[in-house]
Amino acid sequence: MAGSCASGDDSEPRAVIAGTDGRVPTFVEVSTEAVRAALAGDGLWLDLGAAVVRVRSDAPALPPQLQVAYGCHPFVGAGAWADLHIHLARPSGARRWLRPQVIFRCDGAQPFEPFPADTALPLLEWGGNWLIGQRLNDLLLLHAGAVERDGRVLLLPATPGSGKSTLTAALSLSGWRLLSDEFGAFDPAAQVFRAVLKPVALKNASIAVIREFSPAAALGPEFPKTRKGTVAHLAAGPDSVLRRHEPAVPGAIVLPQWRAGSPTRLEPLEPETAFSALAFNAFNYKLLGAVGFDAAVHLAQHCPAFRLTYSDIHEAIGTLAALWDDTALSPAT
Amino acid sequence: MYERVPHVRVEPVGTLWAAFSPASGETLLLNDASAAVLEVLGHGPATPDAVAAALAGDSGASAADWASVLDHCWPSLIRGGLVRQR
Repeated sequence: MAGSCASGDDSEPRAVIAGTDGRVPTFVEVSTEAVRAALAGDGLWLDLGAAVVRVRSDAPALPPQLQVAYGCHPFVGAGAWADLHIHLARPSGARRWLRPQVIFRCDGAQPFEPFPADTALPLLEWGGNWLIGQRLNDLLLLHAGAVERDGRVLLLPATPGSGKSTLTAALSLSGWRLLSDEFGAFDPAAQVFRAVLKPVALKNASIAVIREFSPAAALGPEFPKTRKGTVAHLAAGPDSVLRRHEPAVPGAIVLPQWRAGSPTRLEPLEPETAFSALAFNAFNYKLLGAVGFDAAVHLAQHCPAFRLTYSDIHEAIGTLAALWDDTALSPAT
Repeated sequence: MYERVPHVRVEPVGTLWAAFSPASGETLLLNDASAAVLEVLGHGPATPDAVAAALAGDSGASAADWASVLDHCWPSLIRGGLVRQR
């Protein structure tokens, strides 16, 4: 990961646990015991930008996992408001000793089957994404990676096998600000994107690709045999965390397609195809009705769209950087 | 006689048209012919023959040709909640 998390968040208004200099410490700056105590008490307030998630847990595995995955996020032990409330709990009874598990609860409901206890972080991330997709309905939640440079958002809508998360992770390690690897969170009222800043969930071969791309990347432990295979989480960098409340205007839409051995190709994409990729692949498009329609039309009409086919991640990053420097894509003056 | 469902939205997106029906909640991508039907019905309810005649007047093609093209458009417009029988 580029940069360090030594500098906490001066702007955090909700913190009650502060460093000696008055600023809020980050997760990497506090002890694992402090994280454990907060989780077991009133909980931790994870400020993702567009939403604040309160997490409580007695799962022994979670505190150190959280410290890696949210290393640069401010460590906030009490807050005035949380949009989402998650409780990761160990089941009661003898099973907790025979086959340790962890349960995801939100608002008193248990929407999923338990996970093995040592996979508390994947359950938090997976369940948290599900909850965000259900609840943040003031935003059009496109299923897409979102990164920003020069104030404009590059949107990477997901299709199976597209390599969306790999490309989003590599971009975030190459000077682009990460907004999310899962949610293109578009605010229809302000016509800007907002960050839903969680770690990038890398799966299977993508993990090695990112380790090779950036050996210093803040990648957490690998969790084998999850529902999506082996998963590892890349922490958001310090700049992305510090700027997580900063909106950004739509820039361009790129549909990535990883194909073994393919040369890097960036081709214009018809706006109608971009519209379909956005609208028919969003978490809450139908629920938003006309608001969602207007938002998807706005993006398809105003954002140049491309299809990126690639096999070499370095070339893909270079191609996207060149696209961003293209004067045709510069904001109107 | 058919009418356009109230508050239907139609917007150009590339070479096609995106249409949203608040009645069905459906979004459809339409070709020019289907979008033209919605435009004609925007002026008021009409029979299929009247719609074909209106489009013939605009385009130079015959009403019979338009009627044949529109035969393929009506079912999806109705299924999508964009047009309804009156």
